[in-house]
Parts: sequence; structure tokens; C-alpha cells
Amino acid sequence: MDEYAFFPGCIAKNVYPGIEKSTRMVFEKLGIGLKDYEYSCCPPPGVLASYDKPSWLVIGARNLLQSEAEGLNPMTVCSGCYGTLHNVWHTLKNDPELMDYVNEHLGRIDAKYKGDIHPIHFIDVLKDYKAKINALKEIDLGLNVAVHYGCHYLKPSDATGENSERPTLLEEMVGLVGCNSVPFKDSLTCCGAGGGVMSGEPDVSLKIINTKLNNMQDAKVDAIVNICSFCHMQFDQSQMKLGTTKIPVLHLNQLYGLAFGIRPKHLALHTHLVSTRDLVKKVKAAKKGG
Amino acid sequence: MGKSVKEIIMDGNGYACIQCGRCTGSCPAGRECSLRTRKLIHMARMGMDVIKAEELWDCTTCFTCQERCPKEVKTTDMIIEFRNIAVEEGYLPTMADVPKIIIKSLYDTGAGQPLSPEVSKIRSIIGLKKEAFDVSTNEETLKKFQKLLDGLEISKKGGLNNG
Repeated sequence: MDEYAFFPGCIAKNVYPGIEKSTRMVFEKLGIGLKDYEYSCCPPPGVLASYDKPSWLVIGARNLLQSEAEGLNPMTVCSGCYGTLHNVWHTLKNDPELMDYVNEHLGRIDAKYKGDIHPIHFIDVLKDYKAKINALKEIDLGLNVAVHYGCHYLKPSDATGENSERPTLLEEMVGLVGCNSVPFKDSLTCCGAGGGVMSGEPDVSLKIINTKLNNMQDAKVDAIVNICSFCHMQFDQSQMKLGTTKIPVLHLNQLYGLAFGIRPKHLALHTHLVSTRDLVKKVKAAKKGG
Repeated sequence: MGKSVKEIIMDGNGYACIQCGRCTGSCPAGRECSLRTRKLIHMARMGMDVIKAEELWDCTTCFTCQERCPKEVKTTDMIIEFRNIAVEEGYLPTMADVPKIIIKSLYDTGAGQPLSPEVSKIRSIIGLKKEAFDVSTNEETLKKFQKLLDGLEISKKGGLNNG
């Protein structure tokens, strides 16, 4: 059985627990093991690295080393956490001097980071389970969706190895459960939340997301499907602040949960700020129709 | 560990910049505010006071500029590192308290975004443990984590008063 160290991240644990729950349920159905560790916050790639980059490396490395003895790769459900852990791993792997600096600090708490295992984004785990996802699907959802990756999953591509200008994986993954990824203007732009801008420069942040939401609205989508808890929070919370659009926001694991026939309440869909009621009705109709 | 502006430019390949402006043209924040990445790189190279530029803090760190730069200038990395100096020298225009709140929460709970009683209730209702298993579950582990933070610059910069 495939097994990963599960790195839920602060937002999926403490703000949108439906993301943690749906991940656990979907992965259990797929037969992929998730093991818990004593993780801290990743810490955030924008805010903390902007304050003191060396400290950010040390705290990130402490997270990475948790599962090193057991050889399990840490798996994230947030592109922000992925950005931090992947960047820390990539930086330290290529810079022995910084690695020594980090281990000097970790030595103070009798820990050592070797860099043997590497962080992985959950979508990169799921892409090897396409046949099983198809087999587990109880409902062809039939939704038109706007997909959103989260910048730090894709970029910087010299570290992530992704095609940052024309990614296709998420489009393909929503297609597995009968969803249609609708093209929309400037689909790859940032959600506007990162770098401390959401909290520090809220007006700028809201202007960026407002443009994005309007572009999604123009494409007449039923939902926004994301693979990043932090962007998920920005999409859901900003719509309440702006009050112009009401597009339900789903993490990919919540979408799969629905397709696998898990009850929407178990996925915490009723706790989102933007109502998911009409979306759930559509899914129920699709179930009867299918 | 701290780098100078000059070292940041060197490490970020900033001297290769041809001032073409693709970074500024690609910037989602720059469409909405005064952030002009090309200008920041220019200021830094000319020895102007880039550290005091408030718009350093408008960058969402989306990496689009860095990704598209035809000369492989590490624009986003540079902005993040310029911010490190700005913090050190006390130039924190608007978001001054935000990282401090996050750093305090990180120290006290291990999470940058702490759990509220409302979300804890939701966790129980949907069948999760009231509090997730993490660095704060075991008191000894949290103490060790705090010891690690005590010796890091982030504690001083974040204004944590823990000796």
C-alpha cells in the first residue's frame, strides 16, 4: 500500500476542516495510507520568508525531517504549504552551506535534517490513481467548473518541474468525475492572497480576486475547484466581502468526495461562506439521472 | 546570515536585467496598485533606496515575473530578500503587525492560523478530532519547538519577548 506523511497545513486543519476530512475519506477509499506527524505551520512562503528567510528554512526543515526515519514523503493539500516545503527541500539540497546552517539550529533540539525524502502535492499522488478514481465514482457530476492551481504548485518551475503557462493536470482530474473545465480569461493569475497581501494590503488583494471572480462568472461556471487550501479560503471569504458573485468553492478532494457518494455534510460543504446548496441539488439530480 | 542589497542583486542575477518590463506587464498586483517590478530592480541596481519602497509589500509572491523573465533574473526571490532587510531596518509600511500576529500564533500554538472554538465545533460535527494532531498535541514537543524558535532571528524580528 502506498503511504504518505499527511501535512494538512493550518487552513485545512483550523479554518476549512472539510478539506482535511475529505482528504482522509477520499484517500481511505483509494487505499492510500496517511500517517500523522507532529507538524507545525509550514511556515507561509510569503509572510514568514519575507520577515526572515533563514528562519523560514529552519522551521520548514523541521517539518520535513519528521517522517525521514520512516522514509515517508510529506504530502500537502495546499499549494502554499507545498511551495514552502518544496522550496526549502530544493534550496537545502543544492546549498550545503545553508544545510549546515539549518542543522546547526536543529542541533539545539537534537534534530537533524538529511534531505532524503521530498514533499509531494496530493494531485501528484492522485494522478497515478486515475483508474481507481474512475472505478470508485458513483456519480458523474456533470458540473461546469473553473479550475485553480495556486501559484506555488506551478512556480518557480525550475524547482517544481511543472509547465507553468499551460498546465493540464487539474483539467484532466476534474474530467475523471464528469466535470467540464471551462476556459476563462486570465485563468492562471494569482488569487491575490499570498505574500502577506491579503492581510497587509486588503484593498489590493480584493481587487485582484474581484477581477478573477468576474472572469469566472462570465464563463458561467457552477463551482471553483482548487488544489490549494489558502486560495480556497481567499475565494470563499472574499466573495462575502465583495458581495458581487456567489460561486461555490470546492477543494478537489471535496469534489471527489461528492463523486464517490460521500454525504455533503460529511465534507463540511454546509460550513462554507458561499452557499453550496444549489450545487448539492445539482449533484443529487445528477445521481438520480445517472 | 543577512544579505546586503548588492549580494541580493548578485545572487538573483539582477545585473543581467535588460529593463524590458515583462515582469511589470505580467504582474497581477501591479494592475491594481503602484507595484512596478522593473522599477524596483532598477532602483536596487542604481543604489537607490529600494528597501524603503512601500510597494515591495504589494507583491503576492506569485512568481509570474520570475517565471517569464527572459534573462532569468530571480525577481520574486529578490523582492522577498529586500523585504528581509526592510524588516531589519524597521521599514514596515502597512503590514507591520500581520507577520507579528502570525509569528506569535506560531510560537504559542505551532499554527500560523490558530483554531477557533467555532471551527473546533465543526471539526467534531464532521467526525474529526476537536483539535488536529500536530506539534502542539504533546506539550514536550511544543516546548522543543519553542526552544528552536527562541534561537532564530524571526523571534527577535517578530518582537517575541522570550529572552
